[in-house]
Amino acid sequence: MQTILIVEDDPVIREELQLLLENEGYRALALEDFADIPDQVCAQNADLLLLDLGLPGRDGLALCADIRRRSKLPIVIVTSRDSTADELRALSLGSDDYITKPYNIPVLLARVRAVLRRSGGQAEPERLEAAGLRLDLAKGQVWAGEGCAELTRNELQILAYLLRHAGEIVSRADLIEALWDSQIYIDDNTLSVNMTRLRAKLDGIGRPGCIRTRRGMGYQL
Amino acid sequence: MTLREFLSHRLGPMVGGLCCFVVAALFLLATGTRPGVVALLTLGFLLIFVGRYTVEFLRLRAQLSELEAILEGLEKKYLLMECIPTPKDIYQRKLFQLTRRAGKSMLEAVSQAQAAQRAYRDYIEEWVHEIKTPITAAQLLCRDLEGDKRRKLTQELAQVEAHVERALFYARAESPERDCVIRQNVLEAIVSQAIQTHRSLLIQNGVRVETQGLDCTVYTDEKWTAFILGQLLQNAARYRGETPVIHITARPLGQKVALTVADNGLGIPAHELPRVCERGFTGSNGRRRGGSTGMGLYLCRKLAAFLSLDLQITSQEGEGTQVTLTFPATAGAEE
Repeated sequence: MQTILIVEDDPVIREELQLLLENEGYRALALEDFADIPDQVCAQNADLLLLDLGLPGRDGLALCADIRRRSKLPIVIVTSRDSTADELRALSLGSDDYITKPYNIPVLLARVRAVLRRSGGQAEPERLEAAGLRLDLAKGQVWAGEGCAELTRNELQILAYLLRHAGEIVSRADLIEALWDSQIYIDDNTLSVNMTRLRAKLDGIGRPGCIRTRRGMGYQL
Repeated sequence: MTLREFLSHRLGPMVGGLCCFVVAALFLLATGTRPGVVALLTLGFLLIFVGRYTVEFLRLRAQLSELEAILEGLEKKYLLMECIPTPKDIYQRKLFQLTRRAGKSMLEAVSQAQAAQRAYRDYIEEWVHEIKTPITAAQLLCRDLEGDKRRKLTQELAQVEAHVERALFYARAESPERDCVIRQNVLEAIVSQAIQTHRSLLIQNGVRVETQGLDCTVYTDEKWTAFILGQLLQNAARYRGETPVIHITARPLGQKVALTVADNGLGIPAHELPRVCERGFTGSNGRRRGGSTGMGLYLCRKLAAFLSLDLQITSQEGEGTQVTLTFPATAGAEE
């Protein structure tokens, strides 16, 4: 399990961030005492540091540079200062990514995942399996036994989300939001069209009716 | 200064001088001086008389045109009194000193006003950064809510964020050079940043966004451009039609790149189109729907001008609006 260290002075954000990251399957630690931050950070041996730049009474960028001098730990800076100049300064001082408040939660999680992946953690799984389906994300193909179908980008992302939440009821709204996370900016009607095509393809490889419609609630794989 | 102006200004002393000479000449003739001598004296007098006034006219005209040249060359015209030479004439010098004192007090007032404006801008910026912390906390807390409530509250928070962002850019637009960093950017990254910022508004309004040709490079400030696009997306969602679709398309125009954001919404009436970028202008759509600030497009135009982006709006009422941003050529930037 990967460990993420949170340095954030706002107690509500700190706690919620900790909960959020724990729900996502990380071990989340948070500093509560802001004396000697570089020492504490180096002692924790975490896989990633989420550093808020606006700590009271200290220069966050200097802190970032200080930590970078002593450790190779990936640093993701979280800040409410959002000008391009601020961002360039932060990146030049050795941070690995820069996220501005208020952030979209899916965007925050995606950036954290990306930095962890770059820093040599495990790669994103290229295959998803559930309900008798095998999805190859890299090739955009879905397999059921020997049957195989090629999927479009939209269909691929829809099926991937359903597979990741296999067994759960997924609402159309959640599905739309998940697709927007993957730069597919569709509306409700387009989702219906894509869903119909996806079902037809699954039909064709011998898995008819594997995506069930739960009236008034959403879809279930 | 024309010769006529000069003559009418000097009329009194000139007539006075001539009169004195005529009286003196008559006196000389009456006391038996030979007319030839008087004629000679008259000639001499006239030469000196004309010479004196010609020299004065030329000198004054040269001085005035020098002052005008100094004024022309000044970026801040109100600094004129600090830059011109002190006059030699006693009366002019006194007047000059008085004007300079008056000018000093105005300079003080101006620099105080500028300092106050800077301080206010800094405060707004600081305030915006402060307010973002509770907005972030509220967004994180939203996660615990059940689906529909969460989406609605998230959207409300996104609206708060959008208003706050406009305030920030309004403050920034006053002295834009402070935060603007022009560099190479991929258009796709900027567009997706803008879409993600306003996603809850767009999703809630059932908007579909289609992008095309965005894999090109432009030279601009990423945050500012994303802000401008964000205003356009918000407008498209706000003044949407039945099945809202936004097409974001980029195409090269020689060295330049034109980015078009086209919607199929309510459109803008032709007679309002020339005014939509005015500060505080809310058109008939804005008034009917409410919640329009008249700030979005005003800020877009202002920021676009600073980034040297050309902003063109076309619209057909009832059919949609197209806004085209043309990014400047890359010439002069790194090859």
